Amino acid sequence: MGFIWYLIIRLGGALVTIAIGAVFVFILMQLIPGDPAIAALGENATDENVAAFRRVHGLDQPLPVQFWIWLTGIVQGDFGTSITLAQGYPVWDLMVQRLPNTLFIAVYALLIAVVIAFFAGSIAALRQGKMSDTAATSASVLGISMPDFWLSYVLILVFSLGLGVLPAFGFTSPMVSFSGALVNGALPAFAIAAPMAGVFARILRAALLETKRRDYVTAARSFGFRDTFVYMHYIFRNALIPFVTVIGVQVRYLVGGTVIIERIFGIAGLGSMMVDGAFGRDYAVVQACMLAFLVFVLGVNLIVDIICAFLDPRRTH
Amino acid sequence: MASSTFSPKRFARDVLRNRSATAGVAIIGFMTLAMIFGPSILPYDPNDMDFMAILEVPSWTHPFGTDAVGRDVLARVLYGARISMLVTIVGVALGGAAGTLIGMTSGFVGTWVDPVVMRIVDLLMAFPIFVLALFLMLVLGFGIQPVIFAIALVYVPNFARLARNTTLSVKEEPYVQAARLMGQSNLRIMLREILPNIAAPMFVQLTVGFAFGIVIEAGLSFLGLGVQPPDPSLGVVMADGKDYFLAHPWVITLTGLTLMVIILGLNLLGDGLRDILDPRLRKRSMA
Repeated sequence: MGFIWYLIIRLGGALVTIAIGAVFVFILMQLIPGDPAIAALGENATDENVAAFRRVHGLDQPLPVQFWIWLTGIVQGDFGTSITLAQGYPVWDLMVQRLPNTLFIAVYALLIAVVIAFFAGSIAALRQGKMSDTAATSASVLGISMPDFWLSYVLILVFSLGLGVLPAFGFTSPMVSFSGALVNGALPAFAIAAPMAGVFARILRAALLETKRRDYVTAARSFGFRDTFVYMHYIFRNALIPFVTVIGVQVRYLVGGTVIIERIFGIAGLGSMMVDGAFGRDYAVVQACMLAFLVFVLGVNLIVDIICAFLDPRRTH
Repeated sequence: MASSTFSPKRFARDVLRNRSATAGVAIIGFMTLAMIFGPSILPYDPNDMDFMAILEVPSWTHPFGTDAVGRDVLARVLYGARISMLVTIVGVALGGAAGTLIGMTSGFVGTWVDPVVMRIVDLLMAFPIFVLALFLMLVLGFGIQPVIFAIALVYVPNFARLARNTTLSVKEEPYVQAARLMGQSNLRIMLREILPNIAAPMFVQLTVGFAFGIVIEAGLSFLGLGVQPPDPSLGVVMADGKDYFLAHPWVITLTGLTLMVIILGLNLLGDGLRDILDPRLRKRSMA
């Protein structure tokens, strides 16, 4: 019973944050200098056209009314229409087309980072103070220090231009060909994954070292259990909680990375859509992307909370 | 640890004893010297075009090569790093100061202020950091000053949360209670008693903030939203390089490498400072 309540409270909290986030985004959008009607119609628009545009889009209404129209629209899946990016096209349809690509790259990157961190962190912790620890720890700091958009070009240089094993540009949507997306998405996913892997590996190492010297581990050893058994059942399982928690924190940085990476590799995702929207002053698009990213981060954190609740049921009380 | 016991001499000795901090100081020191004196030592102006030397490969005369209009890339990188660092330092420092003030007040005052402020902080920290910066650029406009403000605003919640949590942990300490009994004003207690005692973690956060702040600056400028050409920043030089990356990869690669070395230095320094300044963590990492 405790778990269900825990879930409901967490979910409710996330929904409140999304609602406040919607207000925040809406207010900031009003601060953007310039008239959205002029931005949409161009400098030479006649006064009648501007007035008509304002009437059609509800811009002549008071702000709270505008906000209410916008909010009720969102709840029904209506994010308005794109003005400059895809003229007259519903923003919702654009998002539905692009979301799978961004999700695919983000999850792909997350998996790569977790796998690398698992090995690097474990090796470092098990061989603490030895050469392999130093190597793994140094590699982690190096990884954290690599700007992902620069790493993208280095990877293209090595794997596409040098070795010719992976394509440099262009992306196949996972909805079209999953294996194609795996191959085409490898470089962008790795570019986003490398700095994260560094952060994760360090946290895992620290958590493992902390757990290694707990009394129950010593007790398990004294029972004569084999090292691998003690490691998997006593040390690793308990070190997982800080590890998983950090993933929730890092998602803030990860998803930011997709914004530039998608542009470099020509991936039609939410990130590149937001940048194009920002350049084209397509406010409906930017607004929608902000909320989508907010929902994404909160969603991942919710999943992290659930995993942590499973790993440590005391948390749900 | 009361602030009056802080001795610069002991601090310097601790830094030199810490491998990570020493490496960080060495890297950042070298880069700072290169940024300050490099542009005047090099015989090229970062904006001087030489159409007889277009897209030259790195050589002794042009260590980082030249770009599409014959500008010396090393000169642009050093000058650009200067702008990038300046933008980042001012931005993160502004955000750090505002965040610390907000967090400290929120934690110290408590009552209804604290939950309200922390809700806002939670909200801001639920946006992807680069996405938030990008959005703020749209509100603030493109250019150097907006980048500074965007970086500052993005960092306010990070510092506010840290300052608030550390304030809560020192608020009930006897010396704060004593100051209160002596009838000191809240402002005086916050500035004289609390601030010195939460300064160490804020200082560490500042160093770490510089490391990612410079990535934000470079990223925004790389997209064309930040520092505007022809003024170089590391992001601007990389954006120039991406246009002819396939045939002439060194411009973007070497510029990015410089950026990475700066970030590495800041990260190492941050790690070292955390070990030195945070005794709680030191105990843990020694175990």
